[in-house]
Amino acid sequence: MAIKFERVSFQYTSMDNKGYLALADINLSINKTGEFITLIGETGSGKSTLAQHMNALLQPTEGRVHIFGITVDDKTKKQRKIKLNPIRKQVGLVFQFPEYQLFEETVEKDIMFGPKNFGVSTEEAAKRAEKMIEVVGLDASYLKRSPFNLSGGEKKRVSIAGILAMEPDILILDEPTSGLDPIGRNALLDVFYNIHTELDKTVIIITHDMNTVYEYAKRVMVMREGVLVYDGDPVALFSKSNIDRWNLDVPDILGLTRDLEAKFDYKFTEPPRSRKALFKALEGMLK
Amino acid sequence: MHPMIEMTGVSFYYTKEISALKNVDLTINKGEWITILGHNGSGKSTLSKLLVGLLKAKTGTIKVDGITLNEETVQDIRRKIGIVFQNPDNQFVGVTVRDDIAFGLENIQIEREEMLRRIDVFSKKVDMFDFLNKEPSQLSGGQKQRAAIAGILAMETDVIIFDEATAMLDPKGRRKILEYMRELNREGTTIITITHEMKEAVESDRIIVLKNGEILKEGSSQSILKDKETLEKSNLELLLPLEMLYHLESNKIENEKLKQYLWQSSLNA
Repeated sequence: MAIKFERVSFQYTSMDNKGYLALADINLSINKTGEFITLIGETGSGKSTLAQHMNALLQPTEGRVHIFGITVDDKTKKQRKIKLNPIRKQVGLVFQFPEYQLFEETVEKDIMFGPKNFGVSTEEAAKRAEKMIEVVGLDASYLKRSPFNLSGGEKKRVSIAGILAMEPDILILDEPTSGLDPIGRNALLDVFYNIHTELDKTVIIITHDMNTVYEYAKRVMVMREGVLVYDGDPVALFSKSNIDRWNLDVPDILGLTRDLEAKFDYKFTEPPRSRKALFKALEGMLK
Repeated sequence: MHPMIEMTGVSFYYTKEISALKNVDLTINKGEWITILGHNGSGKSTLSKLLVGLLKAKTGTIKVDGITLNEETVQDIRRKIGIVFQNPDNQFVGVTVRDDIAFGLENIQIEREEMLRRIDVFSKKVDMFDFLNKEPSQLSGGQKQRAAIAGILAMETDVIIFDEATAMLDPKGRRKILEYMRELNREGTTIITITHEMKEAVESDRIIVLKNGEILKEGSSQSILKDKETLEKSNLELLLPLEMLYHLESNKIENEKLKQYLWQSSLNA
């Protein structure tokens, strides 16, 4: 088990000293490889707070998080001997709008910054930059360009390449596709899917987009008012009662599948999870 | 029909080599709900910033309700057009929700009593009345966005632009914003929705498709929604039922009842 939460609670303290419980009694486990997880929930439900516990950027006020053999609890901050740096390297966290954090003269230098910070040689960091720029779907010609003249989608890719260059085992992305147009969004999701399958990494995506949940995820976690209310199969999540209870949108594909079953005599044996699969299944029934 | 916005030969560039908007002619009538649809970098946000005078056109003229936009008239025009942006954190200026709504009203020197009345009315309208004394740090993204909208509504402008205003919101927040658009339009406000989400374009009267700074196509929402060629050209995605419809057609599968159904359901997306 790469990450394990044991009865984790987290309380923010506000200026007027009133506590605010952002996480309440969370228990969960995440594997080092093979997982493609989406984390959803209304704004303010605790998704980002939960993600920041996964790489010890925040430490629980109650309970424990075990991350690659290191235990993090409310005393961790005071104990100087516990080094959290290895965790940050193993669990890469890409913030929302990572493109705002680009700052170097060239794309290459920006990608190399993270690994060099963790003691990787310049030569090795350059090698990684060359590899990762392709993993995120750009070519080597981008390396010498200034990050500031790129489009929003390209900037996002460069910042993700920078995190990948640190070679994390687990990659967490906070709303990575918000603001992107449909083509840009799908292209980037395919990049994450490739990172998951080809580099064999666990990928965790925070999102508001139910299509992402339905079409990509193997597992989905739902946060609501600091509580992890669902952790499991994405198809089972979208039962009618859950949709009402948690204010979810019905994914496009599932909505149409259900409508076709209700209004026509079609029966989908396996619920299609992509546009392609849906068309193919329907075609089979109609021919 | 009374033209509310008239753009004639409007161009804009950030750097000389790359133009963001090329020679745009566009008329929007009073009470219309129009969607400006386009991929990232198509120029749609540039267009909205030009309309409210946040950017100055390099060529061409912009008229709002008959008044030509220039340095002398920009303040008057801002009383006619309000804009809601994508990121709720970038548009919250007050210390509290109440201050935030009052800010715009103070700017246009609304009398105190009228100001209090409007704060009351419009905070209730967006379900933020109970939050009037809250600070932005105590609010969720959706709540901040609703506060920003209350501030814009309180200005009682003739036109409201929603510039990707739902992009960062959760499904519930998104639905709320769409409801406001619908209601405002019914009450006579001219609405301009700027988006790349087809679902948000369905209900509008007319769609303008922008590509690389130019108007690629304009037409009724129904006609643009099914215009596969235009949408593909401009990096947009067909609504799922329509994509299925075209898929059936290209595979020569005839089923009138199903096709009818798919077309209908795309209009209810």
